[in-house]
Amino acid sequence: MNRLLLMLAVAATAGPANPVSAQFVPSSKKAAHVRIFKGPELESATENLTIIRWISDNPGGSPEHFGVVHYGKDPKDLSQTAKSHIRLNPTHSYTEFRVRVDGLAPKTTYYYKVDSADAHGASDGVISPINAFTTP
Amino acid sequence: MKRRKLAALWAVLVTVVAALLVSSQTVPVSAQNHGHGNGVREVPPPPFYNPYPPGILPPDLPQEIERVRREVRFIENEALAQWQALTPPTLTGQPPILAHTGQRANVLLGKLMNFDENISPFKNRACGFCHMPYAGFSGSIPSVNLTMIAYPGSFQFRAGKRTAQRYTYSPNFPVLNFNAAQAAFFGGNFWDSRATGYLLGSPDANQAQGPPVDTQEHALPDTACIAFRLTTAAYRPLFETVWGAGSLDIKFPHNTEGICETPGGASVFGTNTMPIQLSPDDRAKANNVFDHWGESLDQYEASPDVSAFSSKFDAFLHNDYTLTPDEMAGYNLFRGKANCNSCHLDGRSTAPTPPPPEGTAPNSEDTGAAANARPLFTCFGSANLGLPLNPRDAIYYQDKPDFFGFTANPYGFGFRDLGLGTFLRSGPGSWPSPNDDWTPFAPTSDGQMQTSTARNAALVPPQCPTTEAPGPYFQKEFFHNGYIKSLKQLVHFYNTRDVYPFPVTSGNCPAGKTEKVDCWPMPEVPNNLDMTIGKLGLTDTEENQIVAFLQTLTDGFTRPYPDINTFTGMCMACNPATDPNCSPSRQGNGFLIPTPPLPPCASAICGVAPLPGPKPIP
Repeated sequence: MNRLLLMLAVAATAGPANPVSAQFVPSSKKAAHVRIFKGPELESATENLTIIRWISDNPGGSPEHFGVVHYGKDPKDLSQTAKSHIRLNPTHSYTEFRVRVDGLAPKTTYYYKVDSADAHGASDGVISPINAFTTP
Repeated sequence: MKRRKLAALWAVLVTVVAALLVSSQTVPVSAQNHGHGNGVREVPPPPFYNPYPPGILPPDLPQEIERVRREVRFIENEALAQWQALTPPTLTGQPPILAHTGQRANVLLGKLMNFDENISPFKNRACGFCHMPYAGFSGSIPSVNLTMIAYPGSFQFRAGKRTAQRYTYSPNFPVLNFNAAQAAFFGGNFWDSRATGYLLGSPDANQAQGPPVDTQEHALPDTACIAFRLTTAAYRPLFETVWGAGSLDIKFPHNTEGICETPGGASVFGTNTMPIQLSPDDRAKANNVFDHWGESLDQYEASPDVSAFSSKFDAFLHNDYTLTPDEMAGYNLFRGKANCNSCHLDGRSTAPTPPPPEGTAPNSEDTGAAANARPLFTCFGSANLGLPLNPRDAIYYQDKPDFFGFTANPYGFGFRDLGLGTFLRSGPGSWPSPNDDWTPFAPTSDGQMQTSTARNAALVPPQCPTTEAPGPYFQKEFFHNGYIKSLKQLVHFYNTRDVYPFPVTSGNCPAGKTEKVDCWPMPEVPNNLDMTIGKLGLTDTEENQIVAFLQTLTDGFTRPYPDINTFTGMCMACNPATDPNCSPSRQGNGFLIPTPPLPPCASAICGVAPLPGPKPIP
């Protein structure tokens, strides 16, 4: 069973609704034009861990969101993926993503591009060009 | 015969253990005195359970236990008087309603239950012991908050593994549910959300059913012990008024008292969780009483006696209070640059700040209409904030059997608190999950703890008017493991977790670095870290402004907070000129201890399917 089907199955058996659920965080409204307007850039870097951050217009959708980094040692092979959880703020017009990329080799150049995804893993379609960083 | 043998064994053990205690512990033997001279029959106490190395239990623990017990009894007597003064409700109508004063009667019943010490084997622990009004119904003993973080239960010194959560607004949490649209869990009570409320429809009522039978807290061995003890309660007539005449008419066997004065987990019970032999009808009655216990407590906690909505911020929402410049700046940061309201919902409709770095949140105009007149400052969700393991947590040391043959944590420092993840696996230290469909989400829930309301984080006794050094202050503890000791540290942690990360455990920051200031030890659970926080870019002044805003969320501004004047202990205070840790930033750092080399996570916790991932937990 794939993850989406599993979630739907769980929802169907979740039990009675509660009136307080009206106070849940609503889904965010998608900005008219979603683009990355700051970054991506290295927030920090150690021998085997970097944090990559960027800011985009609010991509909308579920508050549970993920920043996603596709990376690798070859710019034509970004087959490794790191993703980190953030919460969209439905009252903000912008969203800051921060992703931990760990398990890196020291003194190595990595190429990467960033993406973001909703709670179900669906891409927001806001993807950066390929960048590079070198671990210390 | 069994009891006579036990008594003889106790006598021998008391002598031996007392001798050991005197030689190795600063806690005096007089702490074993459970008596309070109110005419209630006392149960001879067993010897201490003390697996703790010197310095783990605070030296003033026995005196502080007795201090809180006096306060508990004071409030219980006050509640008895409030009940006596109440005009009895009238049962009338179809469906029958307790007309006129029925709601207040139920609230008072909950209050009487909350401060009733008899709901424990040794008649020495009430719910209120760990949840006193002057601390926002959270931890009542400053020295415990500073050190062992979990509160000693009825059988001293068993203790839990987490901090006592505030009651305030906990009744507002919905039944735990998996929200498919958001792919996340919401609701429940307890740090790990294990009180789902799936049967009673109220996680808070479900929560109230936990501590009375938790081996580390009240430790009653059978839920029917609650009904048994209520049969002799002074307020039994009130219970029967609220829940029906005859509701406590249960035929208990003659050995019931002997069972109920033996703590849960005792080897004599084996795996039997219902050692009181009752007929099916009487067991059903006792179960109903157990449910009503939770329901009345829930109504007390939902009432203005506890969840008061009487803070400065509530007055601000009603245009009856103008936030000071620092409070307003803090509020704008809270919902702007610091992004706190992405989970601690503030009930406002729009944000006034443009994105960073151009953000001018502190100077922005508040254009947000009130979307919710009573915002709860939580999203009911859970998150792994990446707190370090706190080696002072009492649970790590309870790896040896106690007098009753019970071992709370056989894994010692191999214990890892995976929070919601362990609950979804029905793992050790939690409750069985009532929904197997949730189990696959355990790996994406590891390390997650419930997002508490920000309300009343700063609530303290009037005579100790702050949580922050130099004081006079009331020492509180924050987050599930009490690692954070002040609101300044709390905000600084959110702000700089990823600015000052070090691959060390608590107590082992490099020379020249100060833990919680410019060194944050590694997370206890590295999986599922929430990256909404960690580097907020706040200045020192901005951190302080957020603290000022958090202090506006303290109830008791628009009207007095009930029972807030019951603290009879001492405030803390220090001198910054002589004490390098006398500041909100370093508060409590004098009590840091080095985390020992950690064994791998116990297989009973981290080796249970579905396994933590994508990487194993160290």
